[in-house]
Amino acid sequence: METILQILFNSLEKGSIYALAALGIILIIRTSFTVNFAFGRIGMFTAFITVYFMNHILSSIWLGAVVGIISAIVIGLIVDMVVLRHAHKVDIIGKQIVTLGLIIIISGITPLLFGINPFHLPKFINYVGQSDSLTIMNASIEYNGLFTVGIGLIFMVCLFFFIQKTKWGLAVRATASNEPTARLMGVPTKIVTMSAWAIAGAFGALAAIMIAPSVNVKPDMMDSIQVIALIACVLGGFQTFYGPVIGAYLIAFSRNVFTYYISSVWGESLMYVLILLFIVFRPQGLIGKKIVKKV
Amino acid sequence: MKKLSIAQKAYLSYAVFIALMALLPVLAYYDIIQNATVDILSNVVIYGIAALGLNILLGYSGLVSLGTAGFMGLSSYFAAYFTKDLNLPFFLSLLIAVGIPMLIGLLVGLVSLRLEGYYLAIATLGVGEILHKLFLNIDFFGGSTGRKAETPQLLFGLIKLKHYEYNSFNSMFILLIIILGIVMFLTFNIIHSKVGRAFLTMRGSETCAQAMGINLLKYKLEAFAISTLFASVAGVLFAHNLNHTDYQTWTMVTSLNILAIIVIGGMRSIFGTLIGAFIVCADVLFLHYIPISGIDYILRGALIIVIILFYPRGLVNIFHDIKRLFRKFFQRKIGVGNG
Repeated sequence: METILQILFNSLEKGSIYALAALGIILIIRTSFTVNFAFGRIGMFTAFITVYFMNHILSSIWLGAVVGIISAIVIGLIVDMVVLRHAHKVDIIGKQIVTLGLIIIISGITPLLFGINPFHLPKFINYVGQSDSLTIMNASIEYNGLFTVGIGLIFMVCLFFFIQKTKWGLAVRATASNEPTARLMGVPTKIVTMSAWAIAGAFGALAAIMIAPSVNVKPDMMDSIQVIALIACVLGGFQTFYGPVIGAYLIAFSRNVFTYYISSVWGESLMYVLILLFIVFRPQGLIGKKIVKKV
Repeated sequence: MKKLSIAQKAYLSYAVFIALMALLPVLAYYDIIQNATVDILSNVVIYGIAALGLNILLGYSGLVSLGTAGFMGLSSYFAAYFTKDLNLPFFLSLLIAVGIPMLIGLLVGLVSLRLEGYYLAIATLGVGEILHKLFLNIDFFGGSTGRKAETPQLLFGLIKLKHYEYNSFNSMFILLIIILGIVMFLTFNIIHSKVGRAFLTMRGSETCAQAMGINLLKYKLEAFAISTLFASVAGVLFAHNLNHTDYQTWTMVTSLNILAIIVIGGMRSIFGTLIGAFIVCADVLFLHYIPISGIDYILRGALIIVIILFYPRGLVNIFHDIKRLFRKFFQRKIGVGNG
């Protein structure tokens, strides 16, 4: 019982991070019609900014994180305004190579600005009272982990409320379903795409700052998270915004189950194989309608 | 003089190209160009071979794959194991090391029957990631240290290829470009055969292709098999060229780089692919003239973005544009003269 509970706690914590990353990726896929492969690198860069501001100027992880998230929003805006807005002649695959160019640029800038050594980023919450973790039925979760889960949920609920209930959310959904028609109907698709990049940047920064205490701040810190987020998008299906979130939590849970109960070496690979098999039998993902092709 | 057919023209241009490339190590031997230049160009050749395979898959058949690096990696480990640990001759090891990834490639081809677009891209990325995880975690692949390989010896040790030796002729490069020549020849013949026409129809519309009696299962599997075959050949050559292979090379970014090669160079063009490989893998050759250190990486990314923004259909079109510009320029001159 306690093992299952422990796995569940761990999966919730990791799952929140994956879910944030998956949301950032699906937002851009739906509004900008490209897979943003630079998503992880942008998050990594903002984690470096956070560390820099925390160590040298603000001496607080909270303020540092705020600066990091703001810088991620700015980077997202710049990327959309300077590069992708002008790429309307480029086909889908070309746009993805543009994001590869971004990966290379960011990987080049990072050592120039911050050096080549990895940094340590502290947790947001170390101690509440005397202990650093909450224990329920012999299974423990760190207070920082609880905080991660909470922040993830708050941001996701806010985003879904925004998308489903507000006028701007309607604009996002309209752009996602058919961009040219939405533009003809007077939806400011440029602003929608731009804000999608900004929000995705912020989510990437949050994911990077939250994973940083366990992996250190280094250039490839977000690579595996990005791959998991991409697979979560496929698992959940591209048609909805909440599908990838469910996919992300599922992957986090099954990854822990597989590595604990089956094999720590083969478990993760086996999980990927099973996901691939699942996608083959249900190409539209967990949630999503079957795409009807017309001749 | 008899006029050459399209195929003869193409073969002639490949032969000339290969012959010119073969001059490079000779020039390096007499210190006219640097040895390092030839080393960088051998990377161009290796990634060019993998990109030609991806070009058949993506450019001609319209199926995307982001697992190229995984397959390259797999065959490079096998090549290292067969030649260094089992002492098999080079060509035998090449056959086996290429065959195993090809079988896995066929399985991925089965997946492509059900998926398309982003789904296929990320599913193949997943395959690449599984392989990457296995490279790191399983003892056979040497974990984080990787595996060592040797510069191959051909014909039972009669010909010993040399590579990283001071003041010696870089004969490994000759092997690389001969294989590149074979791959270019094969690519040309495949895309101008019945199979190639089936690929092109499939790219246009799968429904239409099916209606015309094209067996999607067969041709999709063939496309994946050819693409994986070329990628694995490139992987084998990579291991023998660098004498080493480890998990850090075979990541998503390498797959994206190979994709970048064909997007930058131009899809459905053999020389375009090689131009793309030159831009992506040999940019050091022209970027190192920039005096500020550390900035070359940034410029490299910017270059890729700029080329795609200005030449979305591939850099191979630049020759066409230059020709047009010249014609315009001279016509204006003639016009002024007449007036």
